[in-house]
Amino acid sequence: MSIRHGLLALLSRGPRYGYQLRVEFEASTGATWPLNIGQVYTTLARMERDGLVEPGGADEQGRAVYTVTEAGRAELERWFSTPVDQTDRPRDELVIKLAMAVAAGDVDVSAVILAQRTATMRALLELTKAKRANTDGLAQRLVLDSLIFQAEAEQRWLDHCEAVLKEKNT
Amino acid sequence: MSVLRLDEVTRAHGQVHALRGVSLEVSSGELVAVMGPSGSGKSTLLNLAGGLDRPTSGSVTIEGTDLAGVTDLAALRRGSVGYVFQDLNLIPSLTAAENVMLPRELDGVRSRQAREEALAALASVGVDHVADRFPGELSGGQRQRVAIARALVGERRLVLADEPTGALDTASGDEILRLLRERCDEGAAVLLVTHEPRYAGWADRVVFLRDGEIADSTAVPLESAR
Repeated sequence: MSIRHGLLALLSRGPRYGYQLRVEFEASTGATWPLNIGQVYTTLARMERDGLVEPGGADEQGRAVYTVTEAGRAELERWFSTPVDQTDRPRDELVIKLAMAVAAGDVDVSAVILAQRTATMRALLELTKAKRANTDGLAQRLVLDSLIFQAEAEQRWLDHCEAVLKEKNT
Repeated sequence: MSVLRLDEVTRAHGQVHALRGVSLEVSSGELVAVMGPSGSGKSTLLNLAGGLDRPTSGSVTIEGTDLAGVTDLAALRRGSVGYVFQDLNLIPSLTAAENVMLPRELDGVRSRQAREEALAALASVGVDHVADRFPGELSGGQRQRVAIARALVGERRLVLADEPTGALDTASGDEILRLLRERCDEGAAVLLVTHEPRYAGWADRVVFLRDGEIADSTAVPLESAR
């Protein structure tokens, strides 16, 4: 998940200071990925080193305000126009866990599946509740939709695993 | 208040058990989703819950009435239970309004009043503007809504929905669930059968059926888990 590009996108709307970036980042993603202020400043420092942003003095309360550079705008444009690579995504712990459980031979795989399915379904209930309650806007709604689709995909995959295992065992 | 109650319900067809010792309760204002693969007993459960079939053992109670003691199940079905099926069963030669009126007219409601009720039901799901069109002239989403209006007309307190989103795209499917959810929030009890996790997500509780038994549930404590 690219914090760097998220922050660049926010800065492209105008100069901002660190805390403001954090608040706006969380607001536009529906607080799905909480960001700590340390991450924001570390990212800003790296982007400054890479010439993507520059500190532009301080606001009236003495907070350092950042501005996007031309190189930063070009990088943002490149980001929006490039599809996300599948291999950039992190490994899925559940997939590894289930593969290990099957390979081990002495693990009750269906118990692993059942426990996960119930947990994933509970998460799906919560996400749907959040979506029902969401009145904040389109961006948040689409973020929630994405998480719902992911939970759904996991649920379907678990059903599939169960069916395949059942077939192999009979 | 419990609108639907299944107590240790078993349904056997000869040696084959379609459902084994299932206990389940759906209260007013509650949406319960039943998930499970084909052949897990989902449809059997829904048929028993709606009095379309009778259990081999155990009891089914709707609004306090044990169905075992009811001789005229058809009247009870028309009066208290609304159905939304995957194949909507709208009658092609009747308009949307006439389709929704039909169950009320079967109950002896005068057609003027039945039409008023039908229009109100159609309005509640946002399709009163197509009341006088035939099913063939409606979009998939509109047909689905008409079928839901028919299931809701006449203040039904229990709605049974079997894959009510049919082949709709996900955004339209979500809208159907939103409608069912709203009915629930107004006090109806809804039992939804689906194999799509995203639609089960609208429920208060999800029950997983496997081989005719409840394998798990998102409720704490587990109901009928063994």
